[in-house]
Amino acid sequence: MSNFYRLIQNENMKIVRRPRTWAMVGVLIFALLLLTAILKIDQNPNIQNNNWKQHLTETNQRLQQQIDENSADASPDMKLKLEGEINKNLYYMEHNVNPYEVTIWSVVNGSSSLMVLITLLTVIVAADMLAAEYSWGTIKLLLVGPASRTKILLSKYISTLLFTLFLLVLNFVVSFALGGILEGFGEISRPALTIGAGGAVEEGSMLVAILQNYGFKTIELIMYVTMSFMISATFRSSSMAIAFSLLFMLIGNTLVNILSKFEWVKYLLFANVNLSQYANGTPVRPDMTMLFSVCVLLVYFVVFHLISWVVFTKRDVAG
Amino acid sequence: MKNADAVLQLRNVTKKIGKRTIVDQVSFDVPAGEVFGFLGPNGAGKTTTIRMIVGLIAMTAGEIYVKGISVNKQFERAMTHIGAIVENPEMYKFLTGYQNLVYFARRHTGVTTERINEVVKLVGLQNRIHEKVKRYSLGMRQRLGVAQALLHRPSVLILDEPTNGLDPAGIRELRDYLRTLARQEGIAVIVSSHLLSEMELMCDRIAIIQAGNLIDVRSMNDLKNRVAHRIIVEVEEPEPTKEVLTAMLPDIAMAVQAGQLEITAGRDRIPELTRALVQAEIDVYGIRTANQSLEDRFLELTRGEQIV
Ligand SMILES: Nc1ncnc2c1ncn2[C@@H]1O[C@H](COP(=O)(O)OP(=O)(O)OP(=O)(O)O)[C@@H](O)[C@H]1O
Ligand SMILES: [Mg+2]
Repeated sequence: MSNFYRLIQNENMKIVRRPRTWAMVGVLIFALLLLTAILKIDQNPNIQNNNWKQHLTETNQRLQQQIDENSADASPDMKLKLEGEINKNLYYMEHNVNPYEVTIWSVVNGSSSLMVLITLLTVIVAADMLAAEYSWGTIKLLLVGPASRTKILLSKYISTLLFTLFLLVLNFVVSFALGGILEGFGEISRPALTIGAGGAVEEGSMLVAILQNYGFKTIELIMYVTMSFMISATFRSSSMAIAFSLLFMLIGNTLVNILSKFEWVKYLLFANVNLSQYANGTPVRPDMTMLFSVCVLLVYFVVFHLISWVVFTKRDVAG
Repeated sequence: MKNADAVLQLRNVTKKIGKRTIVDQVSFDVPAGEVFGFLGPNGAGKTTTIRMIVGLIAMTAGEIYVKGISVNKQFERAMTHIGAIVENPEMYKFLTGYQNLVYFARRHTGVTTERINEVVKLVGLQNRIHEKVKRYSLGMRQRLGVAQALLHRPSVLILDEPTNGLDPAGIRELRDYLRTLARQEGIAVIVSSHLLSEMELMCDRIAIIQAGNLIDVRSMNDLKNRVAHRIIVEVEEPEPTKEVLTAMLPDIAMAVQAGQLEITAGRDRIPELTRALVQAEIDVYGIRTANQSLEDRFLELTRGEQIV
């Protein structure tokens, strides 16, 4: 009888020993370098170390003007938001923190925008997880062993998630190192500023804020990876798995926006994958809550696994 | 129904796909230490039967036991005793031969590095084992497949057309090796093939399968002894002679081939035949016998059937 840990080890070996995997890692690191370079080049040349306070003061004056002019018809929400911005800028000046400066945190924060790339790469790996065994013909020897199909399927899924985790950690660590090397680690204690309920500025940990951002995007990523894995297990076609997952990922948002006037939209996967819509943004439909989305995602997650499992364990492997 | 001596038992194993019955109630036992041949023309159902034994496809009906363990009910336990190659042994091409073996070894408990090296030597791959499998020839992959199947010292070794792609020396080596495995380690070896000549040298018993039906299981010796003789009788007019003789000896098969009367019967029927010919006052110019080969016997058993 097979040891489950060693089944996972075997699946990892097949990922690690494939040259393609290292090409993916290369692409990710290249993208991080590019991102850092763009951040540096993109620094506003008009804002120098000596005039940023002046710049902020001007911005605040403009914001205040906006509030005064529109005070009659502006919604209280809008007003609160603008006031929050003003408070934030005042905080910067008081604490002598230049918000336009590129720091280690701007690089790390920017790296979270590479989650789309990481999702793409892991979706490709997930798509190949079963389909490739069929196309290589190795599925026969994989299944003719002292491990049940359930265990094999699970070991493959876990191995996919481990690879995902590896890319996430790599992305974070490399961006941290790049940011630190290029911008220095001096600004590491800089807080993350958020605007609280009454428009007051609240200090938070930058690390927590970034990890929260990573977390929301990781949930989205896991949903697409699971979907890709399911299509791979069900239809034995990696191109189909990649095509569908990416299609949903790319058009999902637009589709949801177009259809948002229909009530049933809230049951669609893409309307729920982005949980950050509750933390910093407005939900697709006003009647949706975080809890609702989590439940919908869980249902999709279970259904994807159920389909993979039923099809994979019952299938006759011939030809 | 369980037979204590048999390490592999098939009981009424049936596979239906749609309305077609591909394997129909096949039953046989293979005891430890036997090389068992599975013989049949293309499309007979050999591979399908083997796929059911190793659990790649589900049986429609029937039971398979490996060392008394049901493949249906206790798949994982049953599979610890099986080593197999199903059709071409496809390996991971981006791994070396050795890495492939490490991979397959991990699935079993207790396969040591020494055992891997021992098996590598056994299949004669020691010089190329650290090369990527994508650079292997078909025969080398076949050898790696055999190595993979032997790693965990299985009690039942199943090889679907193992000689496919091997050179004559390789075939001979494999044959000798399989016989040794069966004799010395008591492994039951099941080999499928459509070449009887190959089986003749390797197997103790063969099962002949045709269109999904098991039509004959017998020992190689038995098969050789029971071979009928072809008796050729030289006469002037074979057709009328055949009719006269058939009337006198209705249980003997006769045919006219190439202007000669051919009779298929055991050697012990020849005197009877001669007496009948004399009685019927037929001029006989000669009677001779020709040994029927095993190949003919096989063709005879599966005669006239189209590939299904
Ligand atoms: N998935 C399938 N669907 C329908 N029919 C199938 C399927 N797989 C096999 N068959 C049919 O089952 C029969 C037996 O096939 P099988 O592969 O077992 O033959 P075989 O004895 O191994 O032949 P060969 O000597 O050519 O390898 C064939 O007629 C084949 O067409
Ligand atoms: Mg076959």
